[in-house]
Amino acid sequence: MAAVNQSPGDILGLAAGRWFEELDDRGVFITDEHLVVRRWNAWLAAQTGNSAQEMIGQRIFDLYPALVERGIDTYYREALAGESRILSERFHKFLLPITRNFHGVGQTDMAQSARIEPLTADGKVVGTITLIEDVTERVITERELRAQIAASEQARRFAEDTSRLKDEFLATLSHEIRTPLNAVIGWTRMLRTPEAVRSPAHALDAIERNALSQMRLVEDLLDMSRIISGKLQLKVETIAVADVVQSALDVIMPAAAAKKITIETVFEPGTTEISGDADRLQQVAWNLLSNSVKFTPPGGRVRIEVARQAGDVRLTVSDTGQGIAREFLPFVFDRFRQADASASRRQGGLGLGLALVRQIVELHGGSVGVESAGAHSGTTFWVTLPIRSAAKPTEDEPPSMPTPATLSGVNILIVDDDSDARELLVAMLENFGATARAVDSAAAALAILNDESADRFRTHVLISDLGLPDTDGLTLLRQVRQAASELVRKMPAIAVTAYATPEDRVRALVAGYQHHIPKPVDGNVLASVIAHLVAAK
Amino acid sequence: MKLTAVQQDALIELLNIGFGRAAASLSQLTGHRVLLAVPEVSVHPVENLSSMLSTVISGDVASVHQIFAGPVAGDALLILDQSGAAMLNELLTNEPSLPLSLDASAREVLTEVGNILLNACLGTFGNLLKVQVSFSVPHLSLEKLGLILSSLRVNQVGMQYALVVHAGFRLRDAEVHGYLVVVLSVPSLDRLLRAVEVWEQTQH
Repeated sequence: MAAVNQSPGDILGLAAGRWFEELDDRGVFITDEHLVVRRWNAWLAAQTGNSAQEMIGQRIFDLYPALVERGIDTYYREALAGESRILSERFHKFLLPITRNFHGVGQTDMAQSARIEPLTADGKVVGTITLIEDVTERVITERELRAQIAASEQARRFAEDTSRLKDEFLATLSHEIRTPLNAVIGWTRMLRTPEAVRSPAHALDAIERNALSQMRLVEDLLDMSRIISGKLQLKVETIAVADVVQSALDVIMPAAAAKKITIETVFEPGTTEISGDADRLQQVAWNLLSNSVKFTPPGGRVRIEVARQAGDVRLTVSDTGQGIAREFLPFVFDRFRQADASASRRQGGLGLGLALVRQIVELHGGSVGVESAGAHSGTTFWVTLPIRSAAKPTEDEPPSMPTPATLSGVNILIVDDDSDARELLVAMLENFGATARAVDSAAAALAILNDESADRFRTHVLISDLGLPDTDGLTLLRQVRQAASELVRKMPAIAVTAYATPEDRVRALVAGYQHHIPKPVDGNVLASVIAHLVAAK
Repeated sequence: MKLTAVQQDALIELLNIGFGRAAASLSQLTGHRVLLAVPEVSVHPVENLSSMLSTVISGDVASVHQIFAGPVAGDALLILDQSGAAMLNELLTNEPSLPLSLDASAREVLTEVGNILLNACLGTFGNLLKVQVSFSVPHLSLEKLGLILSSLRVNQVGMQYALVVHAGFRLRDAEVHGYLVVVLSVPSLDRLLRAVEVWEQTQH
């Protein structure tokens, strides 16, 4: 027991002695009515590093002057007047400064709750008793719980937001479909009573214009649905971005001219060639341009720039239009989002155009962005598309009526981990007169390709599955393209795979395959593709 | 038993001193300006307390309970409904509350708030009566109002009265309402009211 005044009449000793030592999980100290420490338990000695011998006999405020600065002396005076006081961790953080090493957090200030009570004997206050509890674990647990609740709350709000957006989208869709239909049906009925129509040509124009607008809308919807379901196929070829932008510009010119909008083009001289789908990228350029023209007031300006930037081609479309509010900027490329979804909005459309832009650009391995200084300060959209240095992909779609190809004299190496698939491919290609050899792994294929011996299998074309154990088909081709032998580096390669989404296709082409043919494979198609590749060498 | 107009005014004036002291402590602790609205006070027999309070507070409540002893003795409680309690914690600590049953830190904050308010008011009574009142450690419970009130009447003999004080906390453009309940024996209440009347006369 701590060295205290043990004189038989010591009221402090009697009052607290019984349970004092039992509390080894919290701090307890007792003062007399002069706030001189009379007891200091082992827990406090261990946690503060101050032994009972050092503390006993001293005023608590001499030992911890900060207690006075923090106004805690009032609590002790109140305790001496008979009041019990709770000191919550949230308000006070701690009573005595104690540092502890906490697992997973390291050195931290010990979070404490405390209470200060009068110590009474025979109805008279003779001192104070202070209890200190270490609540560090509790505080950390509560903080984590609070963070989890905040996260799930955010997820719930996101789900609500998405469902609200879908509702808004459906409302917009219904409106956008009805509007042109109204014009088409209205004018068609009018044309049945020719006397009611002053200019049939004008009526026909209106019908055509509205039907075209509806067609555009349906196409956007179908494109979006194809992208979502991974069914959008890119027809990849070598294209000049400047040419693609120019074709889109040709389409948009009449609308710009009608609004007296000046269009300025800055096409950096030199090549802006990339591998991509010309129609889809034209759709990207068209969407950005028509968006700018739509939101730029009559007499405004739209500037289009195509330039090389590091390994990319960058297309920038900026306008002097109404701009985009800062809070809407992060959502510009989201599906179904429109800055103004209200019935009173001034611009039509489904809000799919920019979402399509992003999806198509991302399918090409590029990125999109938007900047606006806010409402009425114009908007700048940009798109970057990577310039591929990999082997140039050639015309992807084989001739629609493949001429029966002969592959005699062509040595083909097949890599597929599935034995049935290997057998099928070998049989298929041997039918066309080729010599085919099949292996089940990338490592085995590399061994054959890198074989320098005299009786080696001289591979002309490599066909590989993408999903392979250990080393996949993408990695295999990257290794092939870095091989020591030039013959191997330039080896024509075809990916034959069940990974058939547009993203998989882009990945295969980027890795260096000339072709990506989804399974199930048509033998004629495969043979004619091989024949093309061999002929092109 | 009904308070006379003089008793009523004097009690309100006295409680306001206690409220002022409590509001100052809370402002200092939180760094926000905390105000406590002018108290409204009434007296009821303890057996009517439940029906009286259930018209203004219902369901699960958070209550901070302290027993005071000395020449004047009884029970003192701060009662808040649970949403009010959670809101008060949020306003005071600037942290979102978890459900109170999971949030020991929030319960502790409410205990300290009750502690401050009850001590301030009972201390004012003690000073007035020139007696030393000692207080037990405050205890917070989350229970149905009826359960809390019935626990007050265990081991009580003789007629008991309750002083019910409406306490409105105002801070950061929001308001939370609670009730301070002081349960006293008839002699204690008599003694208090007489002292209050005398005090009122010395004020004018």
